[in-house]
Amino acid sequence: MYFSIASILFSSCKKIIEIDTNNAEPQLVIEGKIDNRLLAQQIKISKSIAYDGQNKYPSVSGAVVTVSDSRGNIYNFAETQPGIYAFGMRGVPGVTYTMKVVVEGKTYTATSKMPAIVKLDSIGIVSNNFFGNERKTAAAYLVDPKSETNFYHFNLYVNDNASQRFYVSNDRLTDGNQLRIQLFFKSGNDNNDSDELNSKDKVKVEMETIDSNIFDYWYALSEQSGRGPNQGTTPANPTTNISNNALGYFSAHTYQALNIIVP
Amino acid sequence: MPIKHYLPFFLLFFFYNFAAAQNKFNLSGTIRDANTGETLIGATVKLVGKTSVGTLTNSYGYYALTQPEGEYTVVVSYTGYVSITRTITLNKDIKLNEELKSANDLDEVTVSAANRKNENVRSAQMGLERVDMKSLNSIPVLLGEKDILKTIQLLPGVKSGGEGNTGFYVRGGAADQNLIILDEAVVYNSSHLLGFFSTFNADAIKDVSLYKGGMPAQYGGRLSSVLDVKMDDGNNKEFKFQGGIGLIASRFKAEGPIVKDKGSFMVSFRRTYIDLFLRLSPDSAINGSTLNFYDINAKANYKIDDKNTIYLSGYFGKDNIGVKDLFENNWGNVTTTLRLNHIFSDRLFSNTSLIYNNYNYTVRLLNDVTNFKATSLVRDFNFKQDFQYFSNKHTIRFGLNTTHHRISPIDITTTQESQVNPLTQQKRYGLETAAYISDEWAVTEKLNFLYGLRLAAFSLLGPGNFSTYDNAGNILATDRAESGKFYKNYLNLEPRFSLSYLFNDENSVKASYNRNTQNIHILTNATSSSPTDQYVLSSNNIKPEIADQVSLGYFKNLEDNNYELSGEVYYKWLQNQIDYKNAAQLLANSNIESELLYGSGRAYGLELFLKKKFGKLNGWVGYTLSRTERKFAELNNGNYFPARQDRTHDISVVGIYNLNKRWTFSSSFIYSTGNAVTFPAGKYAINNQTVFYYTERNAGRMPYNMRLDLSATLEGKNKGRFQSSWNFGIYNALARKNPYSIEFINDPNDPSRTVAEQTSLFGLIPSITWNFKF
Repeated sequence: MYFSIASILFSSCKKIIEIDTNNAEPQLVIEGKIDNRLLAQQIKISKSIAYDGQNKYPSVSGAVVTVSDSRGNIYNFAETQPGIYAFGMRGVPGVTYTMKVVVEGKTYTATSKMPAIVKLDSIGIVSNNFFGNERKTAAAYLVDPKSETNFYHFNLYVNDNASQRFYVSNDRLTDGNQLRIQLFFKSGNDNNDSDELNSKDKVKVEMETIDSNIFDYWYALSEQSGRGPNQGTTPANPTTNISNNALGYFSAHTYQALNIIVP
Repeated sequence: MPIKHYLPFFLLFFFYNFAAAQNKFNLSGTIRDANTGETLIGATVKLVGKTSVGTLTNSYGYYALTQPEGEYTVVVSYTGYVSITRTITLNKDIKLNEELKSANDLDEVTVSAANRKNENVRSAQMGLERVDMKSLNSIPVLLGEKDILKTIQLLPGVKSGGEGNTGFYVRGGAADQNLIILDEAVVYNSSHLLGFFSTFNADAIKDVSLYKGGMPAQYGGRLSSVLDVKMDDGNNKEFKFQGGIGLIASRFKAEGPIVKDKGSFMVSFRRTYIDLFLRLSPDSAINGSTLNFYDINAKANYKIDDKNTIYLSGYFGKDNIGVKDLFENNWGNVTTTLRLNHIFSDRLFSNTSLIYNNYNYTVRLLNDVTNFKATSLVRDFNFKQDFQYFSNKHTIRFGLNTTHHRISPIDITTTQESQVNPLTQQKRYGLETAAYISDEWAVTEKLNFLYGLRLAAFSLLGPGNFSTYDNAGNILATDRAESGKFYKNYLNLEPRFSLSYLFNDENSVKASYNRNTQNIHILTNATSSSPTDQYVLSSNNIKPEIADQVSLGYFKNLEDNNYELSGEVYYKWLQNQIDYKNAAQLLANSNIESELLYGSGRAYGLELFLKKKFGKLNGWVGYTLSRTERKFAELNNGNYFPARQDRTHDISVVGIYNLNKRWTFSSSFIYSTGNAVTFPAGKYAINNQTVFYYTERNAGRMPYNMRLDLSATLEGKNKGRFQSSWNFGIYNALARKNPYSIEFINDPNDPSRTVAEQTSLFGLIPSITWNFKF
């Protein structure tokens, strides 16, 4: 907040610099999701790359991926594309899912309990005044259930482009209220104008109810917004719920999505 | 070691040659400025006879010396003033009050070697930097202001938080480990306007001392440093007015006698009005913004009789920052100090202080659905009783200090439409009590000791609910403590010891050891400090922070004390340091203590300092080579990592050139290694976004900082009582883009690659100020 004030009121300026950093060995990354739709649930396995490399992340094939649930079912995931393991099933709120991945001689496990669904009532476009400019943002409307702890994660797409921000919230300060959660778009190219919503833009909002470990995971990523020194908290790898030092997460969550055209 | 084992030895050592003082008489009194009647702090009083002794005036200008009956010459001197020499016959107790004439009014060359002190060499005190605000042109001007905190940051061992950052760091300590006191009241936030100005308006300040190490026992409660700031008492002879009108801030000060030679008052105001200019901007993004601060210093004193003087002083300051329809934020300090000086006997000087201070902030979000107002407050009531006993070779200081803290972490109120719930987080109450005794002992002509003990007790008081947590942050148990109950107590003994050994008048070595403890802590996991940082007290989870420091130094004065040269090395061990778990939520969190990690730290370094004190050209060069590290079992695989403020090299050069009676030029130059920061060691994709992989904490470096500031002051022609001057300044004259933050973004030329983008806040900033005095 102070940063934005300072940069607006003083003649702040930006430039590209070289930094000195050591690139680490490639690390295993697992991104596992189980939601409450009947479809091919996916677990993606890949590797990290060097900081200065090109954004092409090597997929990891040949893993043995199984998911079991607290009702005694076991789902054997099959590799459908390189690094993508899938199984057609429907997740159920209240059920705990355990993922087991055996790859390159190591076993990785993670557990996540799918929370109850909270209805995404609607989505809309809100106009706010930011530093004298009207700015349109997408917003999700829902009613937070009273006296229970709820965690939400959102994904925002504008014209099918995924917003480059992490949207996560909990009800620590808003328990039991009607909520309007605003989602500020950030496009992939670093040009502020392309972060604006314009008439006729196609907006899609996905909402997930998530468990507390996954909230911490997304929250840690969102706090490192800007993802660099002196912006937000000291950067660190978010705490994962996967064992054996894998990067990534395994989340059992509910899924809802709504679309709107910007008026 | 338990206290009882060495306390008797200590006391024995302590009171060892007091009984011996017989057939001796006292010389005591107060030293003042002849023009203003202000007491002079740290003036030298020497009694030269068959045997010679010397002392310095205390914070109230008082001194006392004891010598056997005889004929003596008394020499009273103070830098920048004309010395006074008198002959006395000491055959009874004598009261000698003196008023010194400022050398400002005289030709420069008359500032002779006679009143050039070598106190920096002689005194056992080390790690001390004293800035006398009135001394001749010793302070560079920055943006039209002689900012004391900015000047302090140009000294070795003291590091600025950097542009846009509010704190400063002393010898590897964190920003919250500095004890900043204004007329004895704690100032929790010492900066205005994103760190651009300090809360100390130079017009209202008389004297500043910074202790980087070897803290005397009367100070306690913070680990790293003591910044002791004293306000002007006001002129007790005539009414005087002064002020300045600048582009960024304007100031006005009035002072004068309440009763001539008996009492005086001083009030000073300062305000910025950047936002008035902002309002002229056609850009609605800028003209709707608020950005200002003001501060008021006020002080009055009255000498009831020869033995009693009463002082009342206060400070009020506030910063406002806001954006129309979006948010408002303000914060500020309030301090009030009531003091009574009482002279029990010529040798026993007493000061009793009642102090109130608070620091508070308010944040308001003005959006319709997330509308809320959050307020937070830290409030202290403080009682201090300090005695100084002057004996032949000893100055004994002992006393008691007790502070009651109340912290209201956050209070959230909301509107009807707001989706935020009102919340009042439980207040926390604490009681800090300390008893101390110290002795400054001139053992021989060549050997001086300054040693003491401070016994610091802290109690976390009820009412409140106090929880303990497991490693995952879940509550294990919650205790309820009722009002008045001492829920958790800590007792720490803090030994302090310094010595100096003089080879001769120009050369000495000094060594010191001191332990400090701290029971009030700032919690912030952001990498930069902000006015909304939270304070917490030591508790069942948070243990008192402890620092042990040893330092060794060599001090040399050259050419009749015209040059001061010193080198100090230090090593510091820190215990019970605080850091944060991943994804810690610190704001409005009743279980904030479940988010903390506890570890240790170490800091060591070398400080070199060369100062030229007199002449047309004066100034200094400082260099610091240092390392500051922290260690937490849960971070960086349990290995030591550099603290954010770790900077290998720090260089500062200050030059002040008095061209003639009208023109004075000043400049300061700084260079420092960039802050230690964490850079990515790889990247991967999560949820269609690039996420960075981190290995070693703070193993990277921001680019270095470098800045040159220039200023020129033109004194107006002398028109009797009315005097004026113009100050022209350039901040960052090299227009260097110093790093504020670094962001990792997609390369604009190739979005599949990552580049580092640096943001800088301030380019070259010119300033102009018109100052007046009448």
